[in-house]
Amino acid sequence: MKFNLKEEDALNKITSLFERRGFRRFRSGCFEEYSLYRDNESFLVGKNVITFTDLTGRLMAIRPDVTLSLIRRTEIDGARTCKYFYNESVYRRATGGKDFREISQTGAEVVGRIDGLCEVELVSLMCETLGIISPDYILDISHVGYTEGLLSEFGDRREEVKDYLSRKDVHDFIKLAQNQGYGKELVNAFISAAELDGNAVEAIEKAKKTALNVKMKSALDELEVLVSRLSVAGLDGRININFSMANDADYYSGLVFNGYIDGVPHCVLTGGRYDNLLHKFGKEGGAIGFAVYLGEIERYFASEDVTVDCLIVYDDSSEDKALKLARDCLAKGKSVRLDRNADLTGCAATEIFDLTEGVKR
Amino acid sequence: MINIALPKGRLGEKVYKLLARVGYGCDEYSEESRKLVFKDSRGEVSYFWVKPADVSVYVELGAADIGVVGKDILNEYNPDVYELLDLGLGKCSMCVAAKSDWKDDISVPLRVATKFSHTAEKYFSGQGRDIEIIKLNGSIELGPVLGISDVIVDIVETGTTLRENDLKVFTKINDISARLISNKSAYKFKGGEIKNIVAKLAEVIK
Repeated sequence: MKFNLKEEDALNKITSLFERRGFRRFRSGCFEEYSLYRDNESFLVGKNVITFTDLTGRLMAIRPDVTLSLIRRTEIDGARTCKYFYNESVYRRATGGKDFREISQTGAEVVGRIDGLCEVELVSLMCETLGIISPDYILDISHVGYTEGLLSEFGDRREEVKDYLSRKDVHDFIKLAQNQGYGKELVNAFISAAELDGNAVEAIEKAKKTALNVKMKSALDELEVLVSRLSVAGLDGRININFSMANDADYYSGLVFNGYIDGVPHCVLTGGRYDNLLHKFGKEGGAIGFAVYLGEIERYFASEDVTVDCLIVYDDSSEDKALKLARDCLAKGKSVRLDRNADLTGCAATEIFDLTEGVKR
Repeated sequence: MINIALPKGRLGEKVYKLLARVGYGCDEYSEESRKLVFKDSRGEVSYFWVKPADVSVYVELGAADIGVVGKDILNEYNPDVYELLDLGLGKCSMCVAAKSDWKDDISVPLRVATKFSHTAEKYFSGQGRDIEIIKLNGSIELGPVLGISDVIVDIVETGTTLRENDLKVFTKINDISARLISNKSAYKFKGGEIKNIVAKLAEVIK
């Protein structure tokens, strides 16, 4: 499967999307102290980091992620809203790959004072970003309040149950439930959470029936408000509720997101509300953001062909003639490629001048 | 169209027959055929046979939307997929076995021969036991017999091979059976059809 556009075009369109909403570009250096990543390992998509020792003996890392740098470096004030976007290379293992790679990461973060409008704006941006890459996308939304509320009912078995939830593994959960003698209400709440995966409006209605505690109920209320605001923008059709996302509650505090594109086997966009990460850095306020890893889906983009107006094919006897013809074409404002081969792969030309035979084809 | 990866061999054939019973059969299929890919005439499903240990790779990378794989493989490779159904077929267990007169000496690292190195590492680290993995690809039972390992971690079905080689099970790590798995992205875009297949299969294996 191939998308209809080139990676570079996708990137330009996404960048302009952020600029038109008044997001400010964040740039940072490539190196950070390794401790930044070691202390926040489970916030990272991949755990492997390239490290080196700098001239003063500090252990440094080549950044595997942009968000942590942004949170560390920006002034954040709980009373004001700051909106940033970035488009930088990160260095880590690609999903499913074995070696380190340079991967382009593009994303947006809103930090400081976050209200309902910020959340709706950011979810709309996620949808628009996915929509630029392909019209066949789905944005999965979950809420840490809902999953944590559910898992809190399982006491010291919570990690095991969390694992079942992330794999939608109901059969193994039922074996555990039988062993542990869980009540019907608890079992049904798990099954409903694991099996839910579909249109947001219907899913929220279903989830309400099995919500067990205040935490789960208030998460659903929040989701309901968000979804109703998104449906005003006509986005509800592409939004799914799915509680099987393994997100670390140490970092995430509310909404979490995974974006999928039809034909791409893995998730291409991740994001969420990560107030807890901000507080770990001793900063006030909230934060919500997302990232797409275009570098991980580069094989799906249309190939980067060179397109010129004129291709001039020459041989030893026609070198001078070719140079003159090229000058003439350029003077007329046309783009020109000089080459010995007419059948260039990766180059498309509107007109071909074959000077090896002196004929225009 | 749903693409289904089946494990080559007896288990895969049993699963195919279950799927055929619930309406996903193909005219092209025959037990003798060595064809690796076959489709039904209505264009609803396409099957392909792969090495059992590779099913999860095909599903994770999206070449197959769903597949059938042993829990032993899922535990070993931990692929990023949904696990939707326990088919209750191919039942066996992952065990620690050794020569019947074996006694553990905790002052030295335990030498473990196995195909399932992650499973073994995870189990023994949970026990706080230092181990040395000896990775073998077959005839694991020979490890303790020829003295290159103290124990083995392997699948035990009937225990005949163990008994014939004077080995016995010391601990059962977990139960194994065949599971139906789904690619996460396919579950978003072909969710209706996948849920249909799961529901129909769940009905016949009850």
